[in-house]
Amino acid sequence: MNAKMKIDSDLSGSGRRNAVPKVLIVDDDQDLLVGQKAFLEKRGYQVETASSAAEGLKRLESFTPDLILADLMMEHYDTGFVFCKKVKDKPKLAAVPIIMQTSAPKELGFTLEAYNERARKWMKVDEILTKPVPLEDLVGKIQQHLAR
Amino acid sequence: MKESIRVIVIDDEEGMREGMRRTLQRQGHMVDTAEDGESALRLLRQNRYALALVDLKMPGIDGFEVTRFINENLEGTVVVIVSALATVEAAVEVTQHGAFDFLSKPFTPKDLLHVVERALRQHSLLADRQQYLTELNSERNLSRQLINSMHEGVIVLNRNRLPVLMNPTAERFVGMAYREGLSAEELGLSAAVLGAVDTVLDRGQTRTLREALGERMMEFLAFPYLRGEEKVGAILILDDITLQWQAELEKSRFIAMVAHELKSPLAAILNYVNIILTGMFDKEPAKIHEMLARSKIRGEALLDLIRDLLFLNQREAGKIEKSVERLELKEVLAAQLDFFKVQAERSRVRLELQAEGDNFPVLADRKDLDRIFMNLISNGIKYNREDGALTVRLACRNGGVRVEVSDTGIGMQPDEMKDLFQDFYRVKNPQTAGIPGTGLGLATVKRVTAECRGEINVSSVPDRGTTFTVTLPRA
Repeated sequence: MNAKMKIDSDLSGSGRRNAVPKVLIVDDDQDLLVGQKAFLEKRGYQVETASSAAEGLKRLESFTPDLILADLMMEHYDTGFVFCKKVKDKPKLAAVPIIMQTSAPKELGFTLEAYNERARKWMKVDEILTKPVPLEDLVGKIQQHLAR
Repeated sequence: MKESIRVIVIDDEEGMREGMRRTLQRQGHMVDTAEDGESALRLLRQNRYALALVDLKMPGIDGFEVTRFINENLEGTVVVIVSALATVEAAVEVTQHGAFDFLSKPFTPKDLLHVVERALRQHSLLADRQQYLTELNSERNLSRQLINSMHEGVIVLNRNRLPVLMNPTAERFVGMAYREGLSAEELGLSAAVLGAVDTVLDRGQTRTLREALGERMMEFLAFPYLRGEEKVGAILILDDITLQWQAELEKSRFIAMVAHELKSPLAAILNYVNIILTGMFDKEPAKIHEMLARSKIRGEALLDLIRDLLFLNQREAGKIEKSVERLELKEVLAAQLDFFKVQAERSRVRLELQAEGDNFPVLADRKDLDRIFMNLISNGIKYNREDGALTVRLACRNGGVRVEVSDTGIGMQPDEMKDLFQDFYRVKNPQTAGIPGTGLGLATVKRVTAECRGEINVSSVPDRGTTFTVTLPRA
């Protein structure tokens, strides 16, 4: 089975509005990338994807999104945090909200929760969502952060 | 029956000597006599006396010298001076020289017996004390030996928190030998441990805590060192729980990884299902089909993972019985390659078995051989390219059977290979994205190979292919 299939969709609503919100999804799970891209494109977003932190940083050189969705555990268990820090350290991207999605079981204390301002500052993440993220929750959170 | 007591009478006057001897013998005592200091010392060296009656004024070695000799050399022998100097000053002087009492001449047999009786009571007290000291000493020896042979470290601190005793285990834990003047801080004890010691010293409360000590993880038990009711210090017992602690960490890491690996495919599947359920792709059945097909693959991979986990669990619980038999590895590998024929054709990978001869006997459980080589063959197909090849080569080398499983696939970078045999490790790059795998396959292969007293090695060239080499003992 070829994993690099494309489930594209036409941007039906793009003509009506001038500013189509741009989203970058970084996730090493190809299926998650494909699914979320298809879904968000149907909802009128312009979506780019990257399957690793390095690829994500490279994509950001030419593509400036309005919001980033990032996975936590990619090459390493904390790759997502490192990625987010690198993004937020770039003045051009510092204001771009980042929503982290992770399957890491926080019940076992595996992931760092943004339980206070200090941790949030270090983690440079605006929101942490636990996979699987219900689609409407995802859209809701994206809209909430884009409205800020 | 009254125990017979040995007494020595030392007097240069024969009348005196014999008079005392008769009186004491009538009481049932054994009596030796000496007429001067020299012969007295000789007898004193030879025999053990409960009591020495010593005349002060003798030619040559006098009574003072004999008394001094007794006090310095003979523990338990009580000295009574017999002298005509019946003054208080004289009495004080003789006791200062170590005599217990004195008897002034002339005296009656009754006087003599009275003094002797008192002296013998003193002797018996001395003997008891001696016995007590001997016992105390051996008890101390025993405690010390017990402390020194303990598997736990023992550190005793005084009221000022200074270490006053460390057993060899504690010295090993802190990495230094005990010496006087050593401080608790120098031992490398953490602030939490020192705080516990302070609590013990201040309030007499017993505390336990888990703290690192250098490279080790320790369980500390701190409790008061009491003498009667009084707190005179604190006792620390150190239990090295490093291995247990590491096992706990490892286990919790493993469980976290398992949970993550179980959730990831489920998240992908649910994501597709939820998208389909929105109805947004109802007019694009091909896309729905694609999403369902991917969901199926991820679901199957999830099932594989659960199977692998159950297998690992059974294995660790020792529930898998091995039935070791003599097997021809060439036949085993041929059967395995046959099993993968359909999958290989679908992936357009050519399977090939190359063997130098037909004699590759091994002693193993068939299920173990399947675990090892089916995993490697399956990987060789999954990570191959279209129109690639998977070659299994069999050879006998150095008394072992060597199996090489080579693919013509994507290969690996050196840094991608270093954790290859770790649980849940998967090489992650754009080329492997979308290839289902549990991350447990190679870790299991390595474990099972080791159980078969075999070895596994890997070599790889990026974009050219990977070769796993398994060597098993030849039967």
